[in-house]
Amino acid sequence: MAYKPFDADALIDAAAPLLQLRIAPEHRAGIKLNLKTASKMAALVEQIKLDDDAEPAPVYRA
Amino acid sequence: MKATADAVEIAEAVKGGQVTARAVTEAALKRIERHNPMLGAFTDVTAERALEQAELVDSKIRNAMDPGPLAGVPFAVKNLYDIKGITTRAGSKINRDNPPAARDATLVSRLEAAGAVLLGGLNMDEYAYGFTGENAHDGPSRNPHALDRMTGGSSAGPAAAVAGGLVPLSLGSDTNGSIRVPASFCGLFGLKPTYGRLSRAHSFPFVSSLDHLGPLARSTRDLALAYDTLQGFDEADPAQTKRVNEPTFARLKHPIPGLRIAVAGEYFLGAPEVQAQVQKVAKALEVTKTVTLPDAQAARAAAFLITMAEGATLHLERLRERPDDFDPEVRDRLLAGTMLPAVWVERAQKLRRVFRDRVLKLFDGVDAILAPATPMKAPLLGQKTAMFGGVELPVRPNLGIFTQPISFIGLPVVTVPVWQYGEDLPLGVQVIAAPWREDVCLRIAHQLETAGVCKAPVAQGFAD
Repeated sequence: MAYKPFDADALIDAAAPLLQLRIAPEHRAGIKLNLKTASKMAALVEQIKLDDDAEPAPVYRA
Repeated sequence: MKATADAVEIAEAVKGGQVTARAVTEAALKRIERHNPMLGAFTDVTAERALEQAELVDSKIRNAMDPGPLAGVPFAVKNLYDIKGITTRAGSKINRDNPPAARDATLVSRLEAAGAVLLGGLNMDEYAYGFTGENAHDGPSRNPHALDRMTGGSSAGPAAAVAGGLVPLSLGSDTNGSIRVPASFCGLFGLKPTYGRLSRAHSFPFVSSLDHLGPLARSTRDLALAYDTLQGFDEADPAQTKRVNEPTFARLKHPIPGLRIAVAGEYFLGAPEVQAQVQKVAKALEVTKTVTLPDAQAARAAAFLITMAEGATLHLERLRERPDDFDPEVRDRLLAGTMLPAVWVERAQKLRRVFRDRVLKLFDGVDAILAPATPMKAPLLGQKTAMFGGVELPVRPNLGIFTQPISFIGLPVVTVPVWQYGEDLPLGVQVIAAPWREDVCLRIAHQLETAGVCKAPVAQGFAD
């Protein structure tokens, strides 16, 4: 699936207060651009079907 | 010693008494003084410490003690490695407010224990989040082969210092291509070992899931010798392997019987000038086979997302408190990274396992895979866009498109420098092997070097 339409402003407005991040007006355009790129990347990743038993990869050893 | 001497040559001369470690060190310090203002490679020079270490090496030789395999070899490290007594800036302004490092990075200690002489810390993209070598606070590193061009990054200073003949050996880090991209642009041999092979302890992290450390050099024998010296378990890095050391230097010249090599097709094809570099290597190795790394584009996308999210997590407090003190390009990506839905990142980590399994199957049929290291030769400093596959795209995020899918699953890679006849700028080719088979990458690289297909000269004007 593609994340269209992707409303980066809505995500920023919801996430920034939650994360206690101050978003200066002059920073917003750069953040939006990066979020849009990330949404395209996420769509590419989601194109690959994964089985329910697919394990994530991070290294952890008890 | 000349600037062109490699580490093995220097160590042999020092151990043989033809030159002292002190003289080698002083000559390197002079070259740094003369050329560094032009190259922007060093950010910290540890002259006093270097002369003390050189004296230690010389005294061992005077007393008939073994000074180590890298006796008197000057080296320097990306400034995200801890150097005792110096603040680890990691290319940032913010971290300059931290106290000096209390101890050396494990890999620095390993090289010094082998007799090498640390000359200082090297420039890099801020917090290792970039492929250009343009640092907003310390200025850019400049490509010694063309001073108006990028070194590539983020191990920018490590590449500039070695290609500029300031030191024969440097240490960098590679999360998505940060050793392989600058090695490609500056015409060097660079090794990104298997994920977990070398200790990352006491270096400033970026993306724990993907961070690797490794060496850059001008000869394959230096790369192998450095790699052998750097191996060894270190419980301070939780991702590190407990595998026994697997030395490569002594077997570097041994051909691998029945070696099977293939070129990576489809996603890794690149522009005609890029294909030409890969074909030059393939022809020299008599490679005719092509393999497809399945879903490489999605793998690259997944590495991109994991990098954004883990990088943002690392820097969250700094993003809250000092957003204006970041390099703006880094800050905006990290701020965006704080806001990624968790499902995007978790899915990316699951794809990592799936992609790994699929690619490892390819190694049933081949021992090594060739792919370009970068989609272009070194861009001009300040260049914002370039043509990729006939489309104009931003330079900064696209320089790693061929390296990211490989580090995503931690495979060992040696980047080999390829120069076409009559051309002034190189482009690197990745020699990729199965996990823990650094020996395969290094032996193929050595074969190419011996055949004259690949070379890593000190840049003209810096070789005196």
